Amino acid sequence: MISRSALTRGSQLALRRPNAAQRGFAAVASPKASYEPTDIAGVKVASRDDNGPVTRLAVVAKAGTRYEPLPGLTVGLEEFAFKNTQKRSALRITREAELLGGQLTSYHTREALVLQANFLREDLPYFAELLAEVISQTRYTTFEFNEEVEQLIHLKQKRISAASIALDAAHSVAFHTGLGAPLYPTADTPVASYLNEHSVAAFAEAAYTKPNIAVVADGASQAGLAKWIELFKDVPTSSQGQLNTASAKYYGGEQRVAKTGTNSYVVAFPGASLKDPKPETAVLVGLLGGASSIKWSPGFTLLSKATAAAPGAVAQATNYAYSDAGLFTIQVTGSAGAVRKATEEAVKSLKSVVEGSVAKEDLVKAIAKAKFDLLSGSETSGTGLVHAGANLIAGGSPLKVAETVKALESVTADSLKAAAKALLEGKASVAAVGDLHVLPFAEDLGLKV
Amino acid sequence: MSAPHFAGFIRARPWLHRLVQPVANWYANAAAYRQLGLRADDLISEEDETVLKALKRLDEKTSYDRVYRMRRATQLSLQQKILPKAEWTKPEEDTPYLEPLIAEIIAEQKERAALDNLEIIKSH
Repeated sequence: MISRSALTRGSQLALRRPNAAQRGFAAVASPKASYEPTDIAGVKVASRDDNGPVTRLAVVAKAGTRYEPLPGLTVGLEEFAFKNTQKRSALRITREAELLGGQLTSYHTREALVLQANFLREDLPYFAELLAEVISQTRYTTFEFNEEVEQLIHLKQKRISAASIALDAAHSVAFHTGLGAPLYPTADTPVASYLNEHSVAAFAEAAYTKPNIAVVADGASQAGLAKWIELFKDVPTSSQGQLNTASAKYYGGEQRVAKTGTNSYVVAFPGASLKDPKPETAVLVGLLGGASSIKWSPGFTLLSKATAAAPGAVAQATNYAYSDAGLFTIQVTGSAGAVRKATEEAVKSLKSVVEGSVAKEDLVKAIAKAKFDLLSGSETSGTGLVHAGANLIAGGSPLKVAETVKALESVTADSLKAAAKALLEGKASVAAVGDLHVLPFAEDLGLKV
Repeated sequence: MSAPHFAGFIRARPWLHRLVQPVANWYANAAAYRQLGLRADDLISEEDETVLKALKRLDEKTSYDRVYRMRRATQLSLQQKILPKAEWTKPEEDTPYLEPLIAEIIAEQKERAALDNLEIIKSH
């Protein structure tokens, strides 16, 4: 029997909240963690809707440095995003986006070039049209190349750090061409003969075709997407242009680059790819870690313990996952002496994993950390969006978050030990950037290259 | 930059265009720049920010040719000569190469000014 007072109370509450159907942002029950792949008007779309007030819409194109036929074209295409189109000028694009309170960004990874717009939910039609226009109708004018694109590239080249040079060098020895191409060509890289507005326009024609792009929407309604993705109909379905689509092969080796200033050292092994997300590698990344997630303590991770003995160095373990290959890296950055010491300690700690001296609670912590990294990465803007798009254009499907979490929980001490052993027995890719008199050789660290 | 003109107005009316064209041809030849091997756009004054910007946007070949024509004309002017008739600029060669760039830059400036003085009317 329902008591009368309970009924009354419920109706009072309902009256007090006139817009019960329109719930606020914080009241939303449970956002979907994974992106759902669909196909709208021949365009691959991945979407996720948490009913938030902000939408992130991105075009992820198969135009990362891996696919560029000539060096430097990816950065050229990235800087040409949101420049003059057949319909409106770059200035108008910027001012209109400002008026709507939107943000336009373009960035690239080794595999994908991302043109992203962050805006208020109701402005989806405007930004969908803008992105479609940018990828199909940009003019690639000579004067913009000379006056803006080239200047910006030169400015960004001045900011390339030792850490990114070391990562590029490690990728270069690991994969040679394709994935081995530098993420950003340094000032000393001769790109001037390859990079001009005509080559960028030809690259855009090859890259911005329906099979080579994926539209990723975070926070847009399905109905809205179905209607407005139609605007991408002008994007060509095929093109004469060629992308460099050779599959990745792991080589391994050592590279040493002399440089003044900060030192950086990278020890890399073949890692988990998007197709084959080995849970052991994710847990190993959590176990080696680097940055502490709590204050005033080095934390439990092996690398933070390794750097505790070498003040002035920062170590970080990461797995760079690409569509058909991955690179598991340990990167140490800082002053030369500290980097040497920390690198030696880091390799020792990796060997200790092989010997099986990892405490049980550390493994539990590492699995928890790996789970947190996965979920927070898929929740916040950056990685989730790019990964979903990169997966789609590579012919796969977006990351299944729930299943991946289950796989992480199934990692045991033995499987971790076996995975670490396989890494150390294989060929490593080692890159040293900085004071080469101090930085050790791979041989000295006991690594095979 | 060029002085105000009625070219657009005249071109829009074919009968007027037909009427004025012979006079324009006579004027262009009488102005005598063609006899020095110049083109009409070479006569646009350079002492102007907009024109300087447009000149920077010329491609290398056009820019080189422009400088060559000007040096040749200066030399002829010094020597009080004109070119042999075969080398005069032919009317069909006398096409605008700088004017479109200047027009583009002026359009950019106008758009910027318009956007800077934008009045926003909220629809909600």
